[in-house]
Amino acid sequence: MIKAQIALILLAPAFVFAQQPPRLAKDPGPFLETPPPDQGRGRGPKPVAGPAPHLADGRPDFGGDGAWYPGFSGNIAERQWKGVKSADRHVDVPFMPWALEVFNQRVESLSKDDPEARCQPVGVPRYMFDPYPFQIIQTRNQVVFLFEGDNYLWRVVPIGPGAAHPKNLKPTWLGDSIGHYEGDTLVVDVVGFNGRAWMDQAGHPQSEKQHLVERYTRTDSLTLKYEVTIDDPGAYTQTWAASNTVSWRPGLQLGESICQENEKDSRHMIGEVKPK
Amino acid sequence: MRYALAILISAVVTAAPTPSKIPRGADGKPDLGGDGVWFPLRLEDMANVPDSKVDVPFLPWAKKMFDENRANKGNDTASRCLPQGIPRLTYTANAFQILQLPNRIVFLYEGGTHIWRTVWMDGRAHPKDPNPDWLGDAVGHWEGDTLVVDSVGFNDRTWLDDAGHPHTERLHVVEKYTRTGPLAMRYEVVIDDPGAYSQSWTASTSIPFRPGVKLTEYVCTGDRP
Repeated sequence: MIKAQIALILLAPAFVFAQQPPRLAKDPGPFLETPPPDQGRGRGPKPVAGPAPHLADGRPDFGGDGAWYPGFSGNIAERQWKGVKSADRHVDVPFMPWALEVFNQRVESLSKDDPEARCQPVGVPRYMFDPYPFQIIQTRNQVVFLFEGDNYLWRVVPIGPGAAHPKNLKPTWLGDSIGHYEGDTLVVDVVGFNGRAWMDQAGHPQSEKQHLVERYTRTDSLTLKYEVTIDDPGAYTQTWAASNTVSWRPGLQLGESICQENEKDSRHMIGEVKPK
Repeated sequence: MRYALAILISAVVTAAPTPSKIPRGADGKPDLGGDGVWFPLRLEDMANVPDSKVDVPFLPWAKKMFDENRANKGNDTASRCLPQGIPRLTYTANAFQILQLPNRIVFLYEGGTHIWRTVWMDGRAHPKDPNPDWLGDAVGHWEGDTLVVDSVGFNDRTWLDDAGHPHTERLHVVEKYTRTGPLAMRYEVVIDDPGAYSQSWTASTSIPFRPGVKLTEYVCTGDRP
């Protein structure tokens, strides 16, 4: 009888918790009360889009004189985040309970523990949602991404029949990538993550089990459509997909960005808004 | 006489690199890439390697600084995960790759901070007043089979090598990359920095190619509090 009572007491909180619908943390709101005027880099007369260029052998050409610029898309699953346009579409993210808890904690503490803010690699797929320009270089058997932020990193994607994920992968920030072309789309398969990067500034977590399939399509000379399928049985109950539209900035050159040089910001990230 | 001439000719022929053995791209230039990576040996003191010993023309302050740096590595910004700079990235035991594109050459470095570097090959000049940074501004051209890279616009926070050769913002580096065979490259670097050395000086080393090796992810930033 006593045992049964204890069991009942122990079960009670779990029962109450189970009755509540999962709660998703809310958008913390705009960065600033009055948004600054658009100060996008590399601006000039508005460029006119032409057809998507191709290389001599027919592959889509992801390069040229300029750079890709994703803008700030702080939440890969929302169209609007922190007062500005975010990803291309809203997704009902199929969180596992722990992942939802982590996500909510990160959003509600204003992303104070964001590894990217501590000069760790931005990670994949976040590079396609963060406000750092990048270039894509295509050689015969590689696609190479050159990123300006956060630490001026590169990412190599081997292409072609010889490309395969190694058997014993050491988990890394950017994972291990292999790619191929499907018509005008570059398809990149990524595994081998260390689970430490955030998928966006909001804080969607990833686990070491994450498997991404990225699709890059230059739909016209100024537009890169990015689609990513996220298959992570360590954090999400089913596969889901996010997307973003990345703009080409003609003439934009990448600058040297060394985050850890004189880094003084992260100590001010305290996870709450101080009253004025 | 004829015999002596024959020896001379044969010596010249043997001394010259045999072009057929160097991989070449479609444009006829040496291919500095391939399936593998360049893997330098770790050479602490670039002025004192087995086949290249240099009497470095230090200015007095630079000598003092060099001795201090060598004795006390605590001043080394690279140990705090900042970029190693040029030419140090070629003297540390971290692999790198060279990608040749129509208008530029891109170096991908595993070491330091997993960074990359662009060398413009389209004939452009250095910017007039470059913002000093870790890797400088680099432009290049071919001299025969040698890639010549000219860099200026450095900040003064890197060391030229692990030993601690210092430099100032007036540093001007000329690097010469010559692939001498499928598995080897000769690297020569001219250090011209009137702020730290009384005249320019030249160091060199050989860099082996490791076929089949891939660059790996090396993130130095570590876990900061």
